[in-house]
Amino acid sequence: MSSESPLLEVRALSKHFARRGGVFGQRKAIFKAVDEVSFSVPRGKTLGLVGESGSGKTTIGKCALRLVEPTAGQILFDGQDITHISGRDLQRRRSDMQMIYQSPAASLNGRMTVGEIIGEPLWLHEKLSGGQRRDRVMELLHVVGLKSEHYYRFPHEFSGGQQQRVGIARALAVKPKLLILDEPTSALDVSVQAQVLNLLHDLQRQFGLSYLFISHDLSVVRYLCDQVALLYLGKVVEIADVETIFTRPKHPYTQALISAIPEPDPDGGREQILLKGDLNLRAPKQGCPFAPRCHAAKLAQCDTVAPPLVEVEPRHQVACHLHPALSSSRL
Amino acid sequence: MLLDIQNLHLEFRTFDGTSKVLAGVDLQMQRGDVVGLVGETGCGKSMTALAIPGLIPMPPGVITEGRVLFDGEDVLAKSPSELQRFRARRLGMIFQDPTTNLNPVYNIREQLVDAVLYQRMDQQSVPGRWRGWLPSAKQIRHDAFQRAVELMALVGIPDGDRRIEEYPHQFSGGMRQRVLIAMALAGEPDLLIADEPTTALDVTIQAQILRLIDGLVKKLGLSVLIITHNLGVVAQTCQTVAVMYAGRVIETAPVRELFRNPRHPYTQGLLKAVPTANVRRGELEGIPGTIPNLTQPPEGCRFHPRCPHVMDVCKAVVPPGYRVGAEHTAYCHLYAEGQ
Repeated sequence: MSSESPLLEVRALSKHFARRGGVFGQRKAIFKAVDEVSFSVPRGKTLGLVGESGSGKTTIGKCALRLVEPTAGQILFDGQDITHISGRDLQRRRSDMQMIYQSPAASLNGRMTVGEIIGEPLWLHEKLSGGQRRDRVMELLHVVGLKSEHYYRFPHEFSGGQQQRVGIARALAVKPKLLILDEPTSALDVSVQAQVLNLLHDLQRQFGLSYLFISHDLSVVRYLCDQVALLYLGKVVEIADVETIFTRPKHPYTQALISAIPEPDPDGGREQILLKGDLNLRAPKQGCPFAPRCHAAKLAQCDTVAPPLVEVEPRHQVACHLHPALSSSRL
Repeated sequence: MLLDIQNLHLEFRTFDGTSKVLAGVDLQMQRGDVVGLVGETGCGKSMTALAIPGLIPMPPGVITEGRVLFDGEDVLAKSPSELQRFRARRLGMIFQDPTTNLNPVYNIREQLVDAVLYQRMDQQSVPGRWRGWLPSAKQIRHDAFQRAVELMALVGIPDGDRRIEEYPHQFSGGMRQRVLIAMALAGEPDLLIADEPTTALDVTIQAQILRLIDGLVKKLGLSVLIITHNLGVVAQTCQTVAVMYAGRVIETAPVRELFRNPRHPYTQGLLKAVPTANVRRGELEGIPGTIPNLTQPPEGCRFHPRCPHVMDVCKAVVPPGYRVGAEHTAYCHLYAEGQ
């Protein structure tokens, strides 16, 4: 594959969950956690997946790793369709993509030493053992800014930031090409968050990693990501380069979300757009999912036709009736 | 002076040793102030807040030194029944997680009316178990219900007289936080203590709740102590900020002054650690090191092992507050006379 093609490409991915209700769970409703989402992660770059709780961002991350089986759609990794691979093929693929979780304490086994935690994937994927494995773990500890003496310690002896470094070292052990970072810093304090963000940035440059960065914190996304996809109720509402998203957001939801970030500047008097109500998981069956909360001028079709994701500028896609496509010939 | 915490020292005596959680907290609040108490995990900001209503668990907590004066009265000297009355009348408190603070098996009406009745316990002159059956009690309950519906409207819950019959699970996170604010306001408190009120909420909902608190301050003349780790929230809502580190307030200033001209090295580091539009990738500065273990805190200034400007005096002497500007105090030896 040429290096121009994206490392991870997701096409029309959907994940539906059955929601049972009524007496004895007889009634079944379908909950569309992820609804025809498409995006791609370029090589060596970072794509940010942003959305509020319940927008489906974590489910997308898990689908991309095949930890959750998608209902429909295609996942291409390095040009290869991995939507239906299984067994050894899948296991081999998993060493190319690793996940880092939000809560470092909960994602590390408290009964294993740090050396064992980081060494485990080396055994599982590369069958490394003994001295070789130990040497690699030591090397990884240094890469993430920990010390050799941490090898025999247990996770509870570390602070949150250090635990997250252990999680990163474990993910890096199998030399992945893609890291899926699910809110990696939201459990950390700002001073430690800054350290971890810088580590992630350094690792990306050092190893040419691609990141799928899942977050609800827009200021972190602005700092670390190259491209941003905004999700609302399982649908992508806007995708663009990070600069475009923050300077010229087109979708009313993006505009509201950006205006709602409290700036650490008392005079940063930005006009805040207050949204009505809150994210309701029982979205309207038809029309734009954001329509009930939308503050922008409402068109007749907002309540009846779901807006498609269209390119309004080069490399800038928006799903909103207020923004017609770049050229009508595309439709 | 509405609130005056003087040199508060708090220890937790546990089997693992004595943890010196608060080591000389000073905090002052005037009536009508909105004060932000900022700091990282474990710096003692929640413990400082819990000391005001006397809610620190004792044991294992021991207050070894200091005073908490509320409107001139010493809170620490109050008896349990006086404390109960004081909490009901003068204080309102809201917490981080609105879900765990509501009882899932009672509907909002029962919980909110309970809160209102609790503030009015003196009006119920009939003693004992017959209270609930007497006609006068019925009237009291009816008044309390009216008040509860009013409170629902005050905190911006539309359709309050209908929704009050619903259960907590039928409310979204933002709405639950509004219910808790309504409960906190039931006794028309002088001071509202908000401990991480928006941390569990999404950013668009956070904006709504902060706007609500702001409106209540203007409408009711409320004083608010907001405890948060989010500097953005502080910048957008508070008038005065107190920054805490490892059990002490290390800098207090009006909000603009603090963000424009931070003086304590910790505050400076904290502000540089927040990613903003102007910070280029890879150039974010964290604060090296980690917060100290409070069972063996560093001697002198507790920040000295991480401080870029550390001097010999920092390792031995706890810095007192130095006035560095109008209403701006920094607890740092850098600002001692002759430095």
